[in-house]
Amino acid sequence: MNRRKLLRSLLLWALLSPIVVAILFPYAVMIITAFKAPTEVHNPTWWPSEWRWRNFPEMWQTSGFAPALANSLYVSGMTTLGAVIVSIPAAYALSRFRFLGRGAFSQFLLVSQMLSPIVLVIGLFRLVANLGMIDNLSTLVVIYAAFNIAFCVWMLQSYFSTISRDLEEAAWLEGAGRFRTLVVVFLPLAAPAIAVTAIFAFIGAWNEFVIALTMLRREENYTLPIRVFSLVAGRYTVDWQYVMAAAFAASVPVAALFAWLQRYLVRGLALGAVK
Amino acid sequence: MLRLGDRAETRRRRKHFHGSETMKALKKALLVAGACLLSASAAEAGTVRVTIAEYSKGTGPYFEDAAKAFEAANPGTKIQIEVVPWDNLQQKLTTDIAAGANADLSIIGTRWLLDYVSQGVVAPLDSYVTPDFKARFIPTFLTPSIMNGHVYGLPIAASARAMYYNNDIFKKAGYDSAPATWADFKTAAEKIKATGGGVFPFGMQGKEIETDVYFYYAMWSYGGDIVKDGKSGLDSQAAIEAAKLYKSFIDGGLTEPGVTSYNREDVQNLFKQGKVATVITAPFLSGQIKKEAPNLNYAVAPIPAGPTGDQGTYGVTDSIVLFANSKVKDEAWKFLDFLFTTDQRTKFDKVEGFLPVNAEEAKNPIFADDRDLKVFASLLPKARFAPVIPGWEDIAQTTTNALQKIYLGQGQIEPTLKEAAAKIDETLSKK
Amino acid sequence: MTRAFTPYILILPSFLLAAAIVLWPVEEIVSLATHDVNRFGMLRDFVGLANFRSLLADPDFWTSLWRTLIWTAGVVLGTLIVSMPIALILNEDFYGRGLARILIMLPWAVSLAMTAVVWRWALNGESGMLNSALRDLGLMDHNIQWLAQASTAFPMQILIGVLVSIPFTVTIFLGGLSSVPDDLYDAAAIEGAGRWDQFRLITFPLLRPFINIAFVLNTIYVFNSFPIIWATTQGGPANSTDILVTYLYKLGFRVGRLGDAAAVSLIMFAILLAFTILYVRLAMREEAAA
Repeated sequence: MNRRKLLRSLLLWALLSPIVVAILFPYAVMIITAFKAPTEVHNPTWWPSEWRWRNFPEMWQTSGFAPALANSLYVSGMTTLGAVIVSIPAAYALSRFRFLGRGAFSQFLLVSQMLSPIVLVIGLFRLVANLGMIDNLSTLVVIYAAFNIAFCVWMLQSYFSTISRDLEEAAWLEGAGRFRTLVVVFLPLAAPAIAVTAIFAFIGAWNEFVIALTMLRREENYTLPIRVFSLVAGRYTVDWQYVMAAAFAASVPVAALFAWLQRYLVRGLALGAVK
Repeated sequence: MLRLGDRAETRRRRKHFHGSETMKALKKALLVAGACLLSASAAEAGTVRVTIAEYSKGTGPYFEDAAKAFEAANPGTKIQIEVVPWDNLQQKLTTDIAAGANADLSIIGTRWLLDYVSQGVVAPLDSYVTPDFKARFIPTFLTPSIMNGHVYGLPIAASARAMYYNNDIFKKAGYDSAPATWADFKTAAEKIKATGGGVFPFGMQGKEIETDVYFYYAMWSYGGDIVKDGKSGLDSQAAIEAAKLYKSFIDGGLTEPGVTSYNREDVQNLFKQGKVATVITAPFLSGQIKKEAPNLNYAVAPIPAGPTGDQGTYGVTDSIVLFANSKVKDEAWKFLDFLFTTDQRTKFDKVEGFLPVNAEEAKNPIFADDRDLKVFASLLPKARFAPVIPGWEDIAQTTTNALQKIYLGQGQIEPTLKEAAAKIDETLSKK
Repeated sequence: MTRAFTPYILILPSFLLAAAIVLWPVEEIVSLATHDVNRFGMLRDFVGLANFRSLLADPDFWTSLWRTLIWTAGVVLGTLIVSMPIALILNEDFYGRGLARILIMLPWAVSLAMTAVVWRWALNGESGMLNSALRDLGLMDHNIQWLAQASTAFPMQILIGVLVSIPFTVTIFLGGLSSVPDDLYDAAAIEGAGRWDQFRLITFPLLRPFINIAFVLNTIYVFNSFPIIWATTQGGPANSTDILVTYLYKLGFRVGRLGDAAAVSLIMFAILLAFTILYVRLAMREEAAA
C-alpha cells in the first residue's frame, strides 16, 4: 500500500521535475547571487567561493527594509481583509439569487480588470490628489482592494455555486436565520475558495509597484517593492548581491503564507466536513 | 482651514477635466465622502518638498542628513525628501505635475529642462541668484541650466565621459599608453583580439539610456553635431563615417558579441571583470572598481580623436529646479543656497563620484589630486553638452532605434540614418 | 419584503468600490485621448479623433499590436497547457505534495518586476548564469546573447511570461478541483471508467468554469503586462519586442505624448472588451449546450 504511494510519488515528482527546475532557476540565481562578495558578483559561477552571510544584515540596514516590511504587511493584510469582506456578500448574491442586473454586474467586474494600472495611474492619481490622500497607506489599501474585487467575487462565486443548497436549507428549517446560516454553515464549506482568493489579494498587494510609487512620498511610508526595485532602477551602481538578498527576503513572508494556506486546497475538504 | 482652501482651488483648476453633469455630481459626492472618511495628509506651511532622483544608495541618506542639518539651522522650515528611482522619475514627475501635486524642488535631467521651461512648469531663479552666488560655480556647469538669459536650475550633479582602458590587456598587445585616434585604436583592437584570451577590445553600449550618446562620441570626433542650424546631424557625413566605424568594430569581432543587449552598466561590468579592454563612461566607474575589482589595473584617457583631430566628450549635468506653483519659494531657495555651499557639495560629490561644480570645491585635494578625476577635468573645456532642443528623449529614442538597426545589420547605414534624421527634423520643428 | 433588495445590498459595497477606483480614471483617459495634451497632462484644444488618427498612421503601432496578439496567445495558451497537468498532479495524494505545491507557487512570491530583473541578470550574454549553466552542462559551447535580437529575446520573454503565470493558474485549478466530490470518481470507477474517461467526463466539465476564469483573466493580465518586457529589453532592440503597453509607456512618459498614450489605452481596452464579450458568449453557449 505504502509502496504504491511511494512509487506514485516518485513518478509524479519526475513528471513535475522539468517545471520545478524552470521555476527554481531564477530563485537559485537570486539566492546564489545574494551570497556573493562584491568582487565576485559579476562572475557567473554557480558556487560562490565565499558565502557572505553578512550581505543580508548589510542589505537590511542600508535599504530601509524593516519599515518597508511592516508597511507591506499592513497594506497587504488590510487589502486581503477588505477585498474578502466586500467580495463574500457579492459572490453570495451572485450564486444564490436571481436578480435583475446580475449579468451586468458580473460583466462590470470583468471590465474593471481590463485597464492596466499603468494606464489608470494618471487618472487615479488625480482622484487621490483631489481627496488630499496622497502619501497615505490606507489609500493603497482601498485601491488594491478595489482592483482585487473582480477576481475575488468571481472565484468565490464559482466555488459557492458548487456548494449544495441542501445544507443551508436544512439549517433554515432548523430555524437559523439567513446570516447565521451563512456564517456557521456556508462559509466553513467555502474555506478553500476563501483561501485562494485571500492568497490572490495578498500577493497582488504585496508585489504592486507602480501605484505605490505614484501615491507614496515619504520614505517611511514606502512598501517593499519600492525599496527593492529602487535598488536596481536606474542607479549608476547596482549592488546586485543586496538586490538579490532583498528580493529573496521579500519573498519569504509570501512563501510562508503559501505553506500555511496550501493545505486548504485539498480535494474533498468541503465534503469531508459534511460526511 | 488652509488645507480645505487648497483643495477647493485644486478642484477649480481641474474643473475643465470633468465631463458630464452626473459625473460631476458623483465626483463631488465621492470627494466629500472621501475627505470625511480619511484624514488628509497635505503638507503644512513651511514644509519644502524635494523630489530626489536616486543616483546610488548614498543619495537618500546624503539628502536626509543635509535636510536635518538645514532644519537645525533654520527652525520653522521642514524639508521633506522624497526619493524616486531614476527609471521612474519622468513618470513620477509627469503624474505629479498633471495632478498639481508636484514637490517644490526636484532634480531633473538638464536635457529635459527646455520642455519644462516652455510649459511654464519651472520658475526662474534670477531674483535669488546674486552675482556672489553665481561666482560659486564653475561656469561650464551652470551654463546649461541658463535659458533665454534666465537661470532655471542649478547643476546638482555633473559628470563627463572618458575612456577607461585596461592596462594589462593593452600591455600584452604591446601598448604602453592609450591610442590617441580611432584609427590607432582600431589597430590596437585588432592586436588585442589576436592575443586571444577571450577579451573583447571595445566595450560597446547598445541599449537603453545613452546608447545615442555612445554613438555621438565617435560622431563628434568626425566633426559632426547632434543638431546643426535646427536640423538633425544624424545624416551628416560625420555620422555616416562614425556609424561605419562602429559597425566595422562589431563586424570585426572587436566588441563584445550582441552589443544590443548591453546597456551602460552591463558594459561597465564587463570592464570590471576584465572581459572588455575599454569602455567609455563617467567618473563614477572609478569608485565601483575600487570596491568590486580592486586589483584591476586600469587608466583613464580621452576618447580617441577623429581624422581631423576633433574630439568628443560629453558633459552632462542634472539640474535641481524650483516649480512655478511652489508656495514656499523663499524657503526652498534657502535650502538650495545651503545645498550649494562648498561643504555640502564636497560631501555629495564624494558620495556619488561626480565632478565638482563648485569652484572652491574643485580645489579640494580629493578632487584636484585624484588621478582619474584629473583626466575628466582636463577634458571639460572641450566637452559638449546636450543641445537646448525640445523633445530630447524623443530624439534619443529615434537615434537609438536607428543605431540598433545598424548594429544588428537590419538596416543599411545611410538610408537608416537618413530616415531617422528626417523623423528628428519633424520632432525639432514641433512647437 | 426585503427579499427583493437583498442581492442589491449585498453587491453594493463591491460595486461602489470598484466603480470609484476604475470608472473615474477611465473618464480621465477619455478626455486625455480626445484633447491636444501637453507633456504634463494639461488639456489644450479638443481634437476629437486626431490622436487616434496619428496612431493609426504609425507603423510602430501596428507592429506592436500584432506582437501583442502573439505575446498574449503564446503566454496564455502556454500557461493553460502547462498548468492543467500540474494542477492534476498536485491534486493527487503523494509524498511531498505540500512541498511541491509551495515550489510551484514560488514565482508568485517575488514581484513580477523583480522576477524580470533577475531574469535579465541571468540572461546576460557574457556574465549571465543561464549561459554559464548551459555551458557547464555541456549543452552548448558558446554564449548565446539572449536579449540582443528579437528572435531569441521574444521567445524567452514568452517563456518567462508562462512561468510567472503558472502559479495563478494552478491555484485557480486547484480551487476548482477541490470542489469535485470524491464520490463522483468512486461511482465512475465502479462503472469501469478509466483515468482518461474520468478526466474527460467528470473533471474537465466540472472544471469548466475555472478554466474560463483562468483563460479570461490571464488574457486580460498578460495583454496588459508590462514588467517582463520592460525590464528585459524595454521593447528593443529597435522596437522589435514592443507590445502595446511598452509602446504606450514610451509614448506617454518618455516622449511625453500623453494624448496618444491615452488613445492607445482606449484601443487596448476596446480590444479586450471585444474579446471578452465574444468569449463569454461562446462559453455560455457551450455551457448551455452541454
